[in-house]
Parts: sequence; structure tokens; C-alpha cells
Amino acid sequence: MSVDHPHALESRLVSTGVERLALLGKHAEALMAGYARDEVPLEGLSTTALNRLLAARILWRPDEQGGVKLAPKVRELIAEMLADESRRHVNADVAETLELLRSLVQSYREARDGGEYWRQEQQLLRLRQEVDDLNGRFADAIDSLWRRLNGDFGFVSRLGDKIRENQRAQKQIVRLLDGLALIDFDELIELVGSDGALRKLLVSGLQQQLTQHYTSLREVQRRLVELMARFRQQQSRSRLVAGMAGFLREHPGFVPGNYARRGEVPALVNRAAPLVAAGAAALDHHPDSRVLGELLHRLPRPAPRPQPVTAAGAAAPQEDTLVAARQQALKEDVERFYLAVVDGGEGLSALEFLQQGEYEWSEEIWLFQVIAEFQGLPRSEQRAFRLSQQESQASRYNHVRLIHDVTLQLA
Amino acid sequence: MSEHTPMERSMVEFGPLLERLLAGEFICAVSDEGAFRRLQDDETRERIDAYLRPLNRRLASNDEGSVYFLAWRVLDEAAREQLSRQLGETVASLLPLLEWLQLVQEALGRDGPAAPGEVLKPADFSSRCEDNQGLRERLERLASDPFFGSQSDQLDAQLKQVFKRLREHGYLLQPHADRQYYLVTAKIDYLIDLARFIRDEENLPVDDQAPSGQESLL
Repeated sequence: MSVDHPHALESRLVSTGVERLALLGKHAEALMAGYARDEVPLEGLSTTALNRLLAARILWRPDEQGGVKLAPKVRELIAEMLADESRRHVNADVAETLELLRSLVQSYREARDGGEYWRQEQQLLRLRQEVDDLNGRFADAIDSLWRRLNGDFGFVSRLGDKIRENQRAQKQIVRLLDGLALIDFDELIELVGSDGALRKLLVSGLQQQLTQHYTSLREVQRRLVELMARFRQQQSRSRLVAGMAGFLREHPGFVPGNYARRGEVPALVNRAAPLVAAGAAALDHHPDSRVLGELLHRLPRPAPRPQPVTAAGAAAPQEDTLVAARQQALKEDVERFYLAVVDGGEGLSALEFLQQGEYEWSEEIWLFQVIAEFQGLPRSEQRAFRLSQQESQASRYNHVRLIHDVTLQLA
Repeated sequence: MSEHTPMERSMVEFGPLLERLLAGEFICAVSDEGAFRRLQDDETRERIDAYLRPLNRRLASNDEGSVYFLAWRVLDEAAREQLSRQLGETVASLLPLLEWLQLVQEALGRDGPAAPGEVLKPADFSSRCEDNQGLRERLERLASDPFFGSQSDQLDAQLKQVFKRLREHGYLLQPHADRQYYLVTAKIDYLIDLARFIRDEENLPVDDQAPSGQESLL
């Protein structure tokens, strides 16, 4: 086919393209298996089909002995179609596109100056496609970055991987921004000259789109940095929690310094004691008394308990009798203590008597009863005894005195 | 309301917040978003501080300012006594709480320890623990720690007790009393800050940074 028949060339490209695109659909399952695994399984493919796929550069064979794999561009296409963020590529190469744009503008001008209308149209079409591709590459990259960001890099499971993916994304943004910086609109203005169609495509249109990309990239960059700070904080917390828990497990007796006793108490440790803002019904404020009266009336009445006629009489006194019986036993034991003092004629410690006699009373109850017994004696009998208390002050700050023991002796 | 001075009147709106703070609660964006937002205002904080002065208290927050609580204004002997006791209690609760954080992270497969605002459901734990005997045993040990104090050998009862204690201590918030889901409050930030503080003060051999050089290798 010669250049003299450009229409014929075009139609041949189109028909071959349609044939080859159809191959993608026809062998979709084998190709997806190749995407998911390392190699394309050959079981379902005939030799002819395989050769066609190789000729269309959909598949390739890295070495003669090895298996057949997806061509990188096809893998990229599938990743792009699936928004598969773990495999999506970001193409930040602007320099080559700019080179191409420059040379396309040159051919376009030559065609225009030579009056070759069809060729001029073709060049403009290619220019438009290249500008669209450039835009599309930024738009795809930004889309991919947002998806990764919004999904918290959920396509990798470990925090360490997320941090690395975030770093990779941030580097991609830097490359994309560097690429944007290569586009020099002064140069493009000069390049397009006075041609209206070119000016619209390469100056006003492109500038507007690139400004949008720039804003999006800056925003996604800011959010990535924020997310990274969160990842790092999580990582640091996770390590701290694990490390401290491990340390405390290994050192069960660990006691940190008493920070509350320092001259300067650390802010974290200074937590004031809780204070309950208590309130009670008060009748000294006349207007309130009516409200209080109403509240009183609204109080639920205690439900009258049904009285089981037979059981009620027995159950309550039984408990009272039990308590009274214990009280009587205590009183008798204490009286034994008093008699022991009278019989022995010597002073006796109440606690020693309690321990030696193997009585079951708690010390507190015992001492209380010994003192109560003394105070309950008629004054004339009280004079016959002397009860002395061994006591100490409970605290420097009040006058509460603790009684440790009492000694009873005859006066 | 002519009997009220302007100062009193302006403080009326803070009544419920002051009551919560005085009761020893931690106020964060999760526990009370409105109050927390207002506490971020310098002027509001100054007014509250002035109000608390006669009670020997002032507002305090952690370093990142994610949680507010009350501190003693002047540290007298009684205050120091109370702080020592309180510190002792907090230190005693540190290990069970840290272990709980670890357990949550592992059981739910999260990236980090529970963070403020995260939702926790006892049901998620019971299903994970049923599938995983190791988790089940760890939960059982943790629940019987004196801090959590579960007496039961039933998984659900243990979980219930653990969540109840965490709620009582202000680490979790239960938005609806009849629904079994909880929000992590920023008091957890305070706990982690305290753990970090103790590590730094006592020079404990606990590292929270990723090993250096890890990234340069890649």
C-alpha cells in the first residue's frame, strides 16, 4: 500500500484492528486466567488462535522455553478496566508527548501551507487524540490515586504495605506534577501562532484541563500526606501497645516512679478527684414548695405486698430470733470475761481473753461489746472495775482515735 | 432573672458540661461532640477555668488536645495523696487495658489499636473467638483479670463484663442502652499517652518506631 492511497491505508488498519479486538473477546477467559496467574493456560487454545494472539501482540513469549504471557499493554488495559489498583500503572511521561505534539504541529502547518487539506485534517485529528491521551492519562492517574486513597489502600492488608503503597502514590504525584511543569504555555502559544483551531486545542482547552488536574493532584497529595500521618500514628501506637504490654507481662512487679510527688507534676497525671454536684429538695424557697408537693404526690406508692397468711407470721420473727440469740451468746461470753477478771483478781486484756477462749467473735464486735457491757453496768458496779483503752490517733489531720484493745481490772 | 450576675448567666449554658467534668468524665469529640467543639475555643476555656477556680480545679487536655478533663489547680498534700492513689490504680489497670487493645486489633484484623470513633460490637468478638481457640483463651484470661473481674466461664458473659467495665471507665460509649454496639472514646488516647509517658520516664526498652532502614531498602 503506498502513501498515495491514504484512504486505503486507513481502511486496512480499521479492518485489522476490528479483527484483533475481536480476539480479546473470543479468548477472554484464557486472557483473564493469564492476568490472574503468571502464564496464559494453553489447554483451550488452538495453535492458530495462539499464533493470532501472538501476532496481535496481545500475548508474548519472553523466551523460547518459557510459557506465554500477557503483553504489558494488555495487562495495563485490563487493570485499567477493572480499576485494579494493585496493578494499575500511572504514566507520567509528558516529555515524549510534548515532543510528539511539536512535530505534529510542524506537519500540520506544512500541510496547511501546502494546501493538502486531507493531510491537514489527519494531523489535527492526531493532535486532538494526543491531547486527549495526555488528559486521559492524568485523569486516569488521578482516578487511581483517589480510589486508593478512599479505600485506605485496602487492596493490601498489612499496615507496612499500606505505608509503602502510600509512599509510592506520593512519588507518582511528584512525577505527575513534574510532568505538568514541563508544559510551557508560552512555548505552546508561540508554537500555534495565529491558527485558531490549534490555539483552542493546545492553549485555552489544554490550559483549563491541566489547571484542573493540578488542583486535583495537590488535593490528593495533601490527603495522602494526612493519611500517611494516620498510618504512622497507627503503626507507632500498635508497636507501643504491644511493646508495653510485653514489658509489663515480663515484669509483673514493675512500679513506675510516683509522679504525683514530684515538684512539677506531669500534666497527664494531674487528674482532679471526681466531685458530685449533689442537690436535695429544699423548702426554704416558697415558690418551689408547690412543685415539690406535686412531685411528692406523683411518687409511686409502694405497692401493698400481698400477705401470705400462713408464712408471714413465722418467717420474720424467725430471723429476729436468730439475731437475738447471737446477741445473747455474745453478751454471755463477755460476762464470762468479766467473771474471769473478778475470779482472777488481775487485769486482763479483752483480746487475749478472746483468743485464748477460742471464741468465734470478730475482734471489733468483741471490744465493742466489752465496752458496752461496762457502760451498761449500774454506776455502783461500774466503780468496782477499771477499764483502760489502748488507743492511737487515726491520722494527723483529725481527732479520730482507734481503740486497739481494752484491759479490764478490779478497781 | 435579674438576680443573676452576667457571669452566672453566661455560665448557665455550661451547667451540664461542668457537671460531667466535675464528676471526673473525659470530654472528647465522641463522648460529647458539641461540648468538645466549644472547649476548643480559648475564651470558653478561660471562662470555665475562672468558674472552677474556687473548686481548685482547671481544665486540662492531652498533648493533641483530643480529650479534656479536670486537673487540680494547686497541688496541696491532699491532692498529691489522691493523685498517687489514682496513679497506682491506673498503672494496675494498664496491662489489662493494653492487652485488650491488642486483642481487639488482632481479633478484628485492624491496622492499629482501637482509635476514637471506631465501632466495636461484642457480637464480632464472639464470632471470632468461636472460630479461634487462641483468641478465646486470651479473652478468658483477660476477662478474669481483677480489672475486668468476670466470674463467668461463658464467652458472652465474659464479653459483656469486659464491655461493661470499659464503658464504666469511659473508654467506650454505648449510644443506645438496648443496642450492643459501642464507640471508642478519646480517653483511649489518654491511656496511650500515659503508656508512652511511663515508657519515656522510666526509659523502658520499648520501641514504637519502625526499624530504621526498612524504607531505604525498598
